[in-house]
Order: sequence, then structure tokens, then C-alpha cells
Amino acid sequence: MKKDIRNVRNIGISAHIDSGKTTLTERILYYTQRIHTMHDVKGKDGVGATMDSMELEKERGITIASAATYCEWQGHEINIIDTPGHVDFTIEVERSLRVLDGAILVLCAVAGVQSQSITVDQQMKRYKVPGIAFVNKCDRSGANPDRVVRQLKEKLEHNTVTMQLPIGLEADFEGVVDLVSMKAIYFDGDKGEQVRQEEIPSDLRQAAQDHREMLIDQASMFSNELTEAILEEKKVTAEMIIAGIRQGVVERRLTPVFIGSAYKNKGIQPLLDAVTRLLPCPLNVDNQALDMNNEEQPVVLSNEIDKPLVALAFKLEDGPYGQLTYIRVYQGALAKGDTIINVRTGKKVKVGRVIRMHADQMEDIESIPAGYIGALFGVDCASGDSFVAPGISLTMTSMYVPEPVISLAIFPKDNKSEVNVSKALRRFTKEDPTFKAYVNEETGDTIISGMGELHLEVYIERMRREYQAEVTTSPPRVAYRETITQKAEFDYIHKKQTGGAGQFARVAGYLEPVQDEDFVFENQIVRGAIPTQFIAACEKGFKNSMQKGPKMEFLVTGIRVVINDGASHSVDSSDMAFQAAARSAFRQGYAKAKPVIQEPIMKVVVETPTDFQGAVMSTLNQRRGMIVGSQDEGPFSVIEAQVPLSEMFGYSTNLRSVTKGRAQFTMEFLTYKQLPQSIADELMKKAAEKKKNVA
Amino acid sequence: MLLNPELNKTNAELLTENIIYIKERNISMLKNELVLKNPLRRMGYQSDDILKGGEFGAVMARAGVGKTAFLVQLALNSMLREKNVLHISLNDPVKKVSLWYKEVFNRIATQYAIHQSAQLWDTVLPHRFIMTFRVEGFSVPKLEERLTDLIEQNIFKPHAIIIDGLPFDDAVNQDLADLKNLASRQGMHVWFTVRTHRHEESGPGGTPAQLIQVADLFEVAIQLVPVGKQIQIKAFKGLGSQGDQPDLMLDPATMLIQDQA
Repeated sequence: MKKDIRNVRNIGISAHIDSGKTTLTERILYYTQRIHTMHDVKGKDGVGATMDSMELEKERGITIASAATYCEWQGHEINIIDTPGHVDFTIEVERSLRVLDGAILVLCAVAGVQSQSITVDQQMKRYKVPGIAFVNKCDRSGANPDRVVRQLKEKLEHNTVTMQLPIGLEADFEGVVDLVSMKAIYFDGDKGEQVRQEEIPSDLRQAAQDHREMLIDQASMFSNELTEAILEEKKVTAEMIIAGIRQGVVERRLTPVFIGSAYKNKGIQPLLDAVTRLLPCPLNVDNQALDMNNEEQPVVLSNEIDKPLVALAFKLEDGPYGQLTYIRVYQGALAKGDTIINVRTGKKVKVGRVIRMHADQMEDIESIPAGYIGALFGVDCASGDSFVAPGISLTMTSMYVPEPVISLAIFPKDNKSEVNVSKALRRFTKEDPTFKAYVNEETGDTIISGMGELHLEVYIERMRREYQAEVTTSPPRVAYRETITQKAEFDYIHKKQTGGAGQFARVAGYLEPVQDEDFVFENQIVRGAIPTQFIAACEKGFKNSMQKGPKMEFLVTGIRVVINDGASHSVDSSDMAFQAAARSAFRQGYAKAKPVIQEPIMKVVVETPTDFQGAVMSTLNQRRGMIVGSQDEGPFSVIEAQVPLSEMFGYSTNLRSVTKGRAQFTMEFLTYKQLPQSIADELMKKAAEKKKNVA
Repeated sequence: MLLNPELNKTNAELLTENIIYIKERNISMLKNELVLKNPLRRMGYQSDDILKGGEFGAVMARAGVGKTAFLVQLALNSMLREKNVLHISLNDPVKKVSLWYKEVFNRIATQYAIHQSAQLWDTVLPHRFIMTFRVEGFSVPKLEERLTDLIEQNIFKPHAIIIDGLPFDDAVNQDLADLKNLASRQGMHVWFTVRTHRHEESGPGGTPAQLIQVADLFEVAIQLVPVGKQIQIKAFKGLGSQGDQPDLMLDPATMLIQDQA
């Protein structure tokens, strides 16, 4: 591996579905000679483009998992991280955006800036990823790159700079005029592999001159050298212009726009040139890790390879040869035979094979230096794990993983599926920390839980596709809870005399609500009213009672139990008797303590074009949501609300339909709050009916 | 045979039913108690709101003296009386404004040793709605559009509006006139923060430069003036401005209006 980090680009290609992202990637790989044939998404040849390695993605024509692939162009090494454009796979998106240093925002010359473009653009802004824009599909009828540039300015508020003009459009699209070199560029050969430079056609000369002046003017904002040259009327060189624009891009204050047609093999090579000339190398980007020894305070990493290693496993894949871990090294180097530490588990790991990936194929390498992306074989870890050299305690991601908010039961259809489901779940739970699976002890059902409906749907679909596991599912379920709202006393005598050893125990005290704790047990017994050896049994009796609330059989939380009196019998008292007494005492006190049902409340944040603000608020209001506020961000508004989880089912579909797919939302658990009486009554009625049916 | 259902209930159940009322009464008593303790009453404002529907109030001070904290207390006071407050901020994001409320509420809860603060907070929160705008993105027609959305859809009908961070520059006159119109139509009163500057000359009677042109629109103006280590709350216009009422203080440590009783 060449070691000049200035020639490395870690880029993502972000786009709306169907704007030709995968085709563009395919062409890039072809021109950089990583592949030798071209396929298309939903290809008629049944092979499919190389980057979409998952069957499901091929079928739906979308990219779910992010594969990293490596290629070279003009002495530069480019790692392309295929980023999912879909909103619902947030953790995937977040991980892949973290490892990018720059991105190409692909837009369709016909459809322009669409909802998804807005979404991916928001994501790039959130992760501060600098980008260049590529207006694709200029060969299509209705193509209008000018309009797209206008939309980039107006809808996405980009400070765009036109880098090329089209030579012809739609069916007549022949090539582009490069405004830096002032040459016309054509793409000859069957696959556009021969780049031919010519003089600018006469009818475009004036327009090219005008646009070039604008280009220089914009570039000069970021380069003193260029400004001086203009003022002193010296010669303005291509290098000066490029340097100015590059600075603007790195500062994320300028978006150069390129044009072409990936499908017709036009405009790809100049775009690759732009990637190498304009997008930042790892040195230009500040990366931060969190110091575990110092309350996760951010620490800036250096790209030097002789510093201790800090690396992030951003993606796992289960291949035919075992687990493949995609990794980005931020500091130091990761070499074959090294011993590294997984920060999350604290375990030492010996590095075996180190490879460089090209979608589905791989190549062995010796080491991955800082700034590079590669993959490891046979390393046991979860995605999002950080790896470091022994002795340091930095992590690339916070240890915080949100708790799943929605769950459903899955039922395999047959034996074969059952075996495959467990394999699939093992892999998915490892890949995605927000996806969890467990067996419900009571019903024996396999429960999966995650961050949203679609999140779970995708995994069910993947079980079917990748593991041939057919499953049926239960409707999604919300985790309700019970708690008490006031203090209540209990005093219970458990007495049984039915021949043989008797049972006797008396437990007295009170229950009271407690905040921020699930269960607190306090022993205030004096003078041995309950002998010390039975106190633990009392505690156990109370604690077990919390598992299934007397009211609705939901988990009980937020209770402080204080015992202050009791009685025992020298022969008939036992652990069992005290446990039984505690259980009954709990029920006695609980009934008096005004128990209520609580439901999970989610913090829901919707980002919507301002035009739809009212409609979005209405959707939240209809779902028993309390709107905390709305934030006006120019073309976009952010609405924050607290909504019960039980009301959020089907929200993504609802939101999409009222906003024409242009809004997105995130949802995280906030707190538990008391269920309104009418809804609690309904819930109780349903439970009673269910019980009756079972009986 | 079924008898009167009441007779089938155990003593414990009957007791529980009674206690519901006591608990709810507790929360409402707590609210009343806090309302009664509201130190602003000492400025001569007897109960309820200082302003009537359609009226404007200004809280004037230099940067960092405590305008927002002061207005958040006014807002919380309304919320405790189950009156809806729309808080508009042109400086801070929703998250930060929420934090202001939570902070001020917690300080009040600590000051008056309220045990059921979490429950109380849950009951006052639905009476607040936060809207934030970028300064340059704020306009009265836009606000009116949003407000209509909220009211028509039955999401939120404000009783009072707080506008924090509106620049009182040359362009403000028209905005204020439009707002006055809107407030009168909707029967709401509006509080503004007005940031004053040390170097600016004040007008007749000490009116801060920002207010000179628009003073007529304001029924009440309150000034926060640092005096030594204290912050004095001076009635500048409206009740108490003739020196007939005692001045109040803001505790610089908690930013709460001091209860000097």
C-alpha cells in the first residue's frame, strides 16, 4: 500500500434512490479498472451492479448495507463507502458517514432535488461531510442541469459553483465543457473510456467565458493568491482556481457542480479528477475520539502512523469465510500480527488477515495505516466497536446504545427455518447494536426488538432472503409498566396448618413511590420481629412480585418497600413462608397504593420542509402527542414532540403521505408516563376479553 | 343477588377512591400556593396577568442580566394557572429554551421545597409551546400563519406570548404594529425582551433608545438594573412606575425573583 496520505480519499456517494448512484459507482470501478464488465442495477443480465451485494438490495434497487470498495485514480487511492440513502437504517447511515472524509451528492438532471436528496443532504450537513455535486442522467429527456443547480441553491441552500457546461442535452448530450481548463471533453469508445479534449464549440464559447468568470470570482473568495492574481491582472492558472475551490469545499462553504450521464458513460473521468483534486484527504479532516478515562471528553486524533492505534469497526459482514470486519484507522497503523484491544469488551485481539475490499472480492495487504479503510478477518466484535493499541482508552463512538422501543414475536414456519432464524439473529444482533433478540421465558416465543417498525421489517425480510427462514410475526407490542402513586401500609400474616410442618410468617410495613429507581428495599425491623435470616426471603418475595403487577401483569417499577414489623414462629417459619407472606403483603399494600399503568413516551423529532409544518403537527397531535416546540430553520422546520409509543405505529407511512415523502423523523425513548384513564380502561377490557377467550 | 355495588367494595377500595381526590387536590393546592407566593404580586399586580389581552410588556436590560430568566418566571406563573404560553425565541434552539424552563422550575421547586415536583412539572408542561425562528426568518405574517395552524387544529391556543430576542432596530416598528394588531384580535398579551446597550443615549425620562419610537405600544415596561451585587427590578412604565410600589430584586445566584416577605 502506498503511504502518502495526501493521496487518499475516503468518500461516499449519497443520492436519492433511482438517481443512478449504483450505476455511477459501477462506472467509477470500471474506469479505475477494478472491474472489467459493467452491469446495471435491476440488470437484465441478472448479475447486478457490483456494489449492491445483498440480494434484497438488488431486488428493490436500493442500497441497505454499506460495502466499502477500493480503487485507484491518477495515483490517488479512493475508498468508496456505499451509503444507504434510506432514512430508516439510521445506524448504518451514521456509521458510514462517520468514516467518510467527503462525498459526491448525486442528483438526477430530470427529477432534480427530491425528498431523499434533501434527506441525504441533511445527513451530510449533520456529520459535516464536505461534498461535490454530480448532476446525473443528462441524456434523459427533460434533463435540465440549470434547474438542478437552482434547486441546490434554493432548496438545500448550497453555495454552488458551476464547473462544467453541457454540450447538448437529452438525446444530444455529447460531452462537457470544463470551465477550468476551458476545453470541450468528449467520451469516445464503446464504454466512454477514451477521453478526447477539443476546442470549445463556438456556440458555447461566450457562455463558457461568462461562467468561468463567475467560477474564478467564487474561487477567489477562498484564495488570497487568486485574489491577488486577479487584482494585479496576472495570469490565473488552473492550479490557483482548483486550490481556491478546494479550500471552499473543505470548509463546506462551496459546492462545485459537475454534470454527466453514468449510464451513457459520460462525465465520469472528470468527476474522478474532481474527487482527487477537490475533496479532502484524511489530513484535512479533524477526527475526534472520546476519552474513556475522562468522562468521554473529546480528544483530537492525529493521522500519524507511529502514534498508538485508534480504529473503528464500522461494518460487519458474514461471508463464506467467516466474519469480515470493515475498519477505518484514525491514528497509528493496524498490521497483521498486531495485538489490539476492543475498547468495549476490554478483550485483546490478535490481528490475522488484513485485507482490502472490493465489494465482493478481496485482496490481502500487510497493514492499514491511519486514514485508510480496510477489513479484518476472524475478529470477534460488534459493529461500532473501537480498537486501540494496548494502554490507551479512547473510543470512537459513545458507549451509549439506545434501548429498543418496539418488539414483536416471530414464529418460524418449519424446522429448517427455526435453525436458520437463530443463525440470522446471531449475526444481526452482532451487526446492529440497536437490534435485540431474546426468548420470552413465559411463552417461549422468540422476540425481536428494535428502533422502529421498518427496522424490524428489514431484518425479517433479510431472514427470508439471506437465510431462507420463513417467519410469521405478531403485531408489534409496547412495553407498558405499572407503578403506585401513593404510600400504603401492609400487614399480612401467612398461616397454614394443614398437617405436617405448618407455615407461619407475618410481614408489616409500607410501600411508597420512588423516582428514578425501579425497586428499593429497606429493612427497619427492630428487636428481631423478623429474624435476620428471613429478611432476604422477604426481599425476594417483594422483588418477585414486581415482575408481574397485580393490576395488569406488567412489570412493576418505582417502588420503595419498607418493612418495620413482623412475627415468626420457632418451628413453622421458613424462607418459603416469608416469601409467601411478602408476596401477599405486596398485593395488599399495592391495592391501596393507587396503582396506575404507565406507557413509554418517545421523544419524536420531525424534520420537515416548512410548508408541511402544520400538517406534521396535526399528525403528532392526532397521536396523543404533546408538541414541545417547533424550530424554524429556513426551508426546513424541526418539530419536537413527546408521543406515546403505542401511537407511533405506522407513523413513517403516515408522515410520508402527508409530506410527500419529504419529512423524516427520529424517535427515542424519553420516559414512562401514566396512561390516561380511558386508554387504561380499554387496555384492561382487552386483557379481560383475552383472558375470557383463553378460559 | 346483586346488592348496591358500593357495599361490595372493601374498605381499602373505598379508601383508595377517596385518596384520588386528595392527591389531585394536593397538586392544585400546590399550584395555588406557588401562585400566591409569586413575588410579582408585591409590585402591585394583584393576581393573574400583569397585562390584559392585546397589551404589550417589555423587559429591558443589558445582555446577560436575566431577561430570559425573568420572563420564564412570568411564563411559569401563567402555566401554573393553567394559562397557555407561547414562547418564541429568536436566539436559542428549542432544546435550550426547554432547559431554561426546567432550570427555573427546579429552582422554584427547591426554593419552596416541593416534593411532588415531577408530577407538578408534568401538569404544567402542556401549557407551554416553544417556537424558534432565525432572527432573519422571523416575520409577523409567518407567525400568524403558524399560530392559525395551531389554533385551528386545536393543538395550542396561547393566552400569552413571549418573544425573546427580537432586535429593536429601525425595522421593528412595523413588526410591532402588526403584532399589536394580531394580539388584540386574538386577545393575547405579549412580553418582549429588549436588549439595551450601555453606550446608547436614552431618551426623555430615561427611555432606552430601543423603545423611544415604539413606547406608545407598550403598556408595561420593566427594567432590570444591576445594583452592586443585586439586580433590581424597576417598574419603568405601568403600575409601580411612580414609585408607589416597592422595587423587587432578582437573586443573581438563582435568577429568581426574590421573595422578600
